[in-house]
Amino acid sequence: MAYSSQRSDETFFVESDEPSHRGMNKLAAARMIARNKQEMIANELSRLACDEYLEDIMQHVRHMEDETLPDANLIDMQREIQWFMRPYLIDFLLEAHAAFSLLPETLFLTVNLLDRYCSKRVVYKQHYQLVGCAALLIAAKYGDKKDRVPQINELNGMCCGLYDAGMFTQMEMHVLNTLEWSIGHPTVDLFTQLIVAEERDSTEVEHMAAYICEIALYHREFVSTKPSVMARASLALARAILGKPEINDGGWEHDENLTLLALSHQLHQPSVTLSRKYSQPYYSRVSGKLADFLAQQAAIARCGPPPSPPCEPATISKPLDVYSTPHKGLGNMPGVADGYMTPPITPDGTCFGHNNAVMKDYQVPPRCPVTPTPQPNNHISAYPQHHVVTGPSYFEGSSSHMAY
Amino acid sequence: MDGKRQQSSFQQLEKLGEGTYATVFKGRNRETGELVALKEIHLDSEEGTPSTAIREISLMKELKHENIVALHDVIHTENKLMLVFEFMDGDLKKYMDTHGDRGALKPHVIKSFMYQLLKGIDFCHKNRVLHRDLKPQNLLINSKGSLKLGDFGLARAFGIPVNTFSNEVVTLWYRAPDVLLGSRTYNTSIDIWSAGCIMAEMYTGRPLFPGTTNEDQIVRIFRIMGTPTANTWPGLTQFPEYKTNWQMYATQNLSSILPQIDQLGIDLLSRMLQLRPELRISAHDALKHPWFRDLLVPQQQAQQAPHLSQQPIMQQPQQQHGGYQQTVPSQQGPYGGY
Repeated sequence: MAYSSQRSDETFFVESDEPSHRGMNKLAAARMIARNKQEMIANELSRLACDEYLEDIMQHVRHMEDETLPDANLIDMQREIQWFMRPYLIDFLLEAHAAFSLLPETLFLTVNLLDRYCSKRVVYKQHYQLVGCAALLIAAKYGDKKDRVPQINELNGMCCGLYDAGMFTQMEMHVLNTLEWSIGHPTVDLFTQLIVAEERDSTEVEHMAAYICEIALYHREFVSTKPSVMARASLALARAILGKPEINDGGWEHDENLTLLALSHQLHQPSVTLSRKYSQPYYSRVSGKLADFLAQQAAIARCGPPPSPPCEPATISKPLDVYSTPHKGLGNMPGVADGYMTPPITPDGTCFGHNNAVMKDYQVPPRCPVTPTPQPNNHISAYPQHHVVTGPSYFEGSSSHMAY
Repeated sequence: MDGKRQQSSFQQLEKLGEGTYATVFKGRNRETGELVALKEIHLDSEEGTPSTAIREISLMKELKHENIVALHDVIHTENKLMLVFEFMDGDLKKYMDTHGDRGALKPHVIKSFMYQLLKGIDFCHKNRVLHRDLKPQNLLINSKGSLKLGDFGLARAFGIPVNTFSNEVVTLWYRAPDVLLGSRTYNTSIDIWSAGCIMAEMYTGRPLFPGTTNEDQIVRIFRIMGTPTANTWPGLTQFPEYKTNWQMYATQNLSSILPQIDQLGIDLLSRMLQLRPELRISAHDALKHPWFRDLLVPQQQAQQAPHLSQQPIMQQPQQQHGGYQQTVPSQQGPYGGY
């Protein structure tokens, strides 16, 4: 995995979509406020205008959602690429996505294209990053403005010149042909925006949900989760974390409950790159808020009565309990009792050894490949492996359900 | 699209047109003899596959409808991409030039074309696609009197609520006022404005608002539709291109400018040419407008429903289908709105 950052890491997320207020003259600031106001009006009006087509569009979008779902079980069969490599690639894509100031949906579309390609073709280890770059190129060309689309030489630079320039266009065409040019995957943010507009959720909730959805990108167990399910589950979780009232819209299904539960188990050690992105004021600093929430939960768990035995599968069969998991369920998680699941501090080597020890106590589901522990290096420290943190008893329930 | 077809499966015939990023040829399937249109897209080794091609192909794969030109296949060779479309005899611009009375078409032809245009737009919008470049050159016509939307190079899928888009879309003459004023959150209504401009143009043979610059285009629209104010258009002053020194024009009566159009037609047109995007009629509602009550159904659609009477929607028959079919003969000459 080659990665070169010409700028220091910190600068990656300084440049946000919105121009910063500082250094702008008054006129420009006024113009920006006026534009924002106009956009709000237009958004509201276009929402009304769109209501007429909403039903048809939702029908189409749900059809496309099924058509464009990657199959994690097929990715399991890859000989060279392994799930432990995924966080490194997602980090790289996240930084490239930010460096080029691409639209939020472009990140989700990129990972969707990557996963669909990996569900269909054998990918060599040395080409994994190249496939990621091709997916990013295609996603940006599909949705972003022309002047934002990454230049191949820029991407090549970010890959430390690992590939010949011609390989990018070649891989791009290969991905397009493999996916039969079907790029119109409805990304999770489309569903999120709809629900947010409907339920009038705050921007903070929306940002927290986006953060959770991006955390999910790192984990195998959400690769085959439908974006519409992910949107509802992440928003419900975000509301719970931020102490907002639950919204009971009735239509909750088993899928959403399982996803919500699984998501709540993956919040503890988010990628440093990702949590830094969401520590910006532009994103309501939600990564800090999530860390605070988890610390509070851990403290409650430590002071409270001894936790019940780790993760009874029975929890899953009680949807109501499941829904409130983020409030109280964390204390029941394996690991919290051991005290290792403290707020998102990237674990060091010893921590990982500890994780592996935890893993040995459980049987790893057979379809998860046994992957080697990533080498901690100076840039990207070790990431939790999903089956390590989750514990198989959670995983069995959800993975059987996630296999579409 | 089986991907197995080769470039050699098609015999390349004459050039039909040349676009900014593609060349369109007439072609023949060597196996079946079927005529096709071959859109050749040059691949730049620096840039890779053009974004227009990615959007166009992926969106057209989702859009299978009788009023949208069908994409049969995508063939990829070393340095070019060849899109195989169903063959159409010409585009609306060419048709108006060759068959209109100084460009103006007969009312029953216009009605049929408008109906098919709105059907195509309606289908796009149902599938959350904005065409964004509707103009006579991009509407393809065949000898059966069918009209189909072509050239989805500028099209894109929209979210709900809409995303922020570029405001550099749609050929100037057919560009909606909200887009001209700098709106980036436009919606399905952008295609309806273009449809209104096209309807007027079919009656007169001349573009309704032939502006030369963005400014000029706005003024030409205001001169007919009236200059809006913050009262008639809430939020108007927030547009980036809002000017305080616009000349104030009164709203003209469309029927005095377009006396060729009957009263019901004027009613529909005025609903499509609303300055405020949210007041513009949707394609779905426009199709139910009473103006279409006496619609002549083209041969092709009548054939698809043989069990129905020959003129299923028509209440006041004016002409037999056989006769109608002949009013849309095949065309000669270059065009390339694929």
